[in-house]
Amino acid sequence: MPRFNDFGGKTGGSRVAIVAAGIVSPFGCGLNETLGSLRANKDCVSPVTQFDVTQCRSKAAGQVRDDWLDSTRNGNKSDRVHRATKMMITALDQLCRQDSTFKPELTVIGTTSGGMSFGQDYYRALHRHSELRHSPAWVANYPPQKPVIDAQTAFEISTPCQIIANACASGTNAIGHAFECVRSGKYQRVLTGGYDAISELVFVGFDSLQASTPEKCRPFDRERSGMVLGEGAAVLALENFESARGRKAQILGEIIGYGISTDNHHLTQPDPSGSGPRRAMEQALKSAAISADNVDYINAHGTATVFNDAAEGKAIQELFGNVPVSSSKSMIGHSLGAAGAIEAVVCLLALHAQLLPANINFRSSDAGLNLNIVANAARPAKIDIALSNSFGFGGTNASILIQKLAA
Amino acid sequence: MNLRVAGMGWVTPLGRGIDLVWDRLVDGQEAIPEAISDAVFKKSYCAFRVPAEILAQLPPHPRLRRASAISKFAAAAGLDAIAQAEAAIGKIDPDRTALIFAASNGGVVYTKRFYQGIVESGAEAASPLLFPETVFNAPASHLAAILGIAGASYTIVGDGAVGLLAVKMANDLLENESAEFCLVVGAEEADWILCDAYHKWRLLRKEPPIQLFRDPPRGTILSEGAGAVLLSHEGAVKIEAVDSGGNFSRRREASEIVRSIAHRLAADDACVIASANGTFVDLAERDAIKKELPGATVYSLKSALGESVGASAIWDVIAAAQALKTRHLPPVRYPHSSSGLNFPGLDDLAWRKAIVLSCGLNQQAAGLRLSI
Repeated sequence: MPRFNDFGGKTGGSRVAIVAAGIVSPFGCGLNETLGSLRANKDCVSPVTQFDVTQCRSKAAGQVRDDWLDSTRNGNKSDRVHRATKMMITALDQLCRQDSTFKPELTVIGTTSGGMSFGQDYYRALHRHSELRHSPAWVANYPPQKPVIDAQTAFEISTPCQIIANACASGTNAIGHAFECVRSGKYQRVLTGGYDAISELVFVGFDSLQASTPEKCRPFDRERSGMVLGEGAAVLALENFESARGRKAQILGEIIGYGISTDNHHLTQPDPSGSGPRRAMEQALKSAAISADNVDYINAHGTATVFNDAAEGKAIQELFGNVPVSSSKSMIGHSLGAAGAIEAVVCLLALHAQLLPANINFRSSDAGLNLNIVANAARPAKIDIALSNSFGFGGTNASILIQKLAA
Repeated sequence: MNLRVAGMGWVTPLGRGIDLVWDRLVDGQEAIPEAISDAVFKKSYCAFRVPAEILAQLPPHPRLRRASAISKFAAAAGLDAIAQAEAAIGKIDPDRTALIFAASNGGVVYTKRFYQGIVESGAEAASPLLFPETVFNAPASHLAAILGIAGASYTIVGDGAVGLLAVKMANDLLENESAEFCLVVGAEEADWILCDAYHKWRLLRKEPPIQLFRDPPRGTILSEGAGAVLLSHEGAVKIEAVDSGGNFSRRREASEIVRSIAHRLAADDACVIASANGTFVDLAERDAIKKELPGATVYSLKSALGESVGASAIWDVIAAAQALKTRHLPPVRYPHSSSGLNFPGLDDLAWRKAIVLSCGLNQQAAGLRLSI
C-alpha cells in the first residue's frame, strides 16, 4: 500500500505541517521535559491538593505544578486569571519561542470545562453568604473561550477562536478540524490544541460514576479499575506544508489524516462492539489514504475503565493486529479536553525520538484483548506514522494520524 | 461560498415554530417575563422562559427522559429544521449530515444542582445521574441519537457570537465535502444563577423593557430557547459571507471590531439584524452601523425575546432569513429615539440582503450576510 506522500495529492488537499508545539502537563513544562518523562517512564500522578477529596474513592490526579505556570504575562491580574489561562499562556509561550513568526488565521482549541473552578468559587461564596467582591472576575473568567483569548492577547494574536467542547475527544477534534481547515486550502495557518484544569466538580463527577479508581491507572490491564484525572494544555501550530517549507520553518511532523464518528449507544458508555472507535480510526486511515499496516504506533485513548478499554481494544485489535499500543494516561492521568492535544505532542516526540512510550502500571493482559502493549518501559523502535485516539462522553470519537517528516 | 439555509426551527419564549414566532413578532408581541428564583437563595430576578407546554409536544425518546431543558430545546428546534428542510428539498440523509451544537452556558440547571449536592452534602452525595448531563456536548449527543447522526458532531462554546462561529464551521465542513448537510443548533437554558452572575457583572436589569441603543445602556434580561438552521447547497436563502470577526479585550474595543466586521459585510439594500440587547453591545453596534452601514434599517430581537446568549445568533440568522423571505421586519420595541439609527417602518421593503451582527458579552464578535 503506498503511503500518503506517494499519492501526489490524490487525497485532494494540501499537506499539513506541524511547525511548533507547546506543552505543560504533569509530564513537565516543554518538549524536552516531556520527552525526559517519557524516557523515564515517569508516574506523574500525585495526591490531589487543590480541593478536599476525603469523601472520594479516588484521591490522586496528574497535576501541573504551579511554579511551571507563566504568570509574568498577566501583569497585575495574575491572581484574577484562571489557572487554565496560565496553562494556555505557558504552552503558547513555548510555541511562540519556537516560531515567533507564526501568525494564525484561525484558532481551534478543545476543552471540557473552561474556568469551572471559578464557577465553584462563585457558588460556594453565594452559599456561605460571604463576600462576593471577586465575583465579577469569576464571572468574566469562567467562560471556556476566556483562557484562549487571554493567551492570544498575551502574544498579540487576535484570531477568531472556535472552542470545541466534545468532552474527552475535544483536543483531538480540535486538531482534526484545524487539520481539515489547512488541508482544504482555505487556511494557511491554524493554531490548535486543548486545555483543561482540574476542578472539584469534574473530579467528583467522575468519582460519582465510579469511573475513577483509588488504585493505579492501568490501561488495558486485566485488573484495570478506572481512570485517574489529569490536567494541562498543549498547542500545535499547523501550517500549509509548502508555506512552511517556503519560509524555512522547522517542521516537527505532518498530520496526514483525521477521523470522527458519533456513537449513539449511550451518553456515557461506548457500544461494546467498538464500532464507534473503529469508524473513527478507519476514517482517519481513509483520510490519509494509507492502510492499517502503515501505522507503527498507537497512542490509545486508554482511560483504564473496563468498558472503554474493552471497546477501544477490540477495535484496535480488529483493525491493527499487533501494532504497539500504549496509553499516556497511565503516566499523567486523563486531562480531558487537553488529552488529545497532549497525546498528539507525545506522538510527535515518539516520532522524533523513535521511541515507543510506555503504558506503565501494566501487570497482565486482558484475556479478551490480544494487544501489543508497550508494557511499563519505553523502548526504541522505527516509527514513521503514529495514530492518536480520543473518545468521550456523548459518543464522540476522534482519531488523528501523525507522520514523521522524511529525512 | 455556496451555503444555503434549507430549513429552520425556532423555540422561544414566544412559542415554537418559524411562522408562529415571526407572526407574533410582526404583530408587536413580546415575551412575558417570569420571576426566576432559587430554592436556596432568596433574591429573585426576571427572565423570559420557554412555555412548558412546548416541551410537552416533543415526541418521546429515551434520550430525552432525563435530559435537561437545553437538550429538549435543541431537540425541538433541530427536528423542526429537518422537517422544514425535508418539505423543501427532500429527504435529509443522516449519514450525510453533520451536527454543530453551539452553546454558551450549557446545562447550567443540572450543573448547579449537581454542585449544590456536593456543597450541601459532600462528594459522597454527588449524583451520577446528573453529572453526564452537565457536560457541554450532552445536548448534541441526544440530538445526534434522535436523528441518527453517526458522523461528525461538534459542540462549540462561546458567547453570544458562538452561533455565527458555528455557521462558519459548518461552511468549512461542507466545503471539505465531508458532509452534504449540516444542522447548526444554538441553545440556552435560563437559571437563577446565570441571572445572578449577569447581575453582578452589571449587565442585567431588573425588569422589562429592554431599551435598545440607549446611552448609557440600562441592561438586558436573559431568556432561553433554541434556534436551528439546516445548511446545505440548496435552499431559498443564501449565506453570502460569514465573518468570524475576532476578539476584543476590553468593552471599549468592541466598537472597532464590530465596525471592521460591518465594513467587510457592507452591501447596498441590506437590512441589519443587530445583537443589541441593552448593554455595551448596543453602543458598539450603533457606532459601527452609523459609520459602515448608514441608512440601513436596523432590527434587534432582544427587546421582544431577551438575550438568549448561546441561542441568540442563530435566532438572529432566522430573523434575517425571515426578513428576506417576507420582506418585512417586526417593529423594534423601545428604541432610543436619539440613537441616529433607522428602525423598521411600514414601507421598508427594499432590502434583498440582510446582515447579522453579533457582538457577544464575553469578548467575541462575528457577522454574516444573507441574500435571497
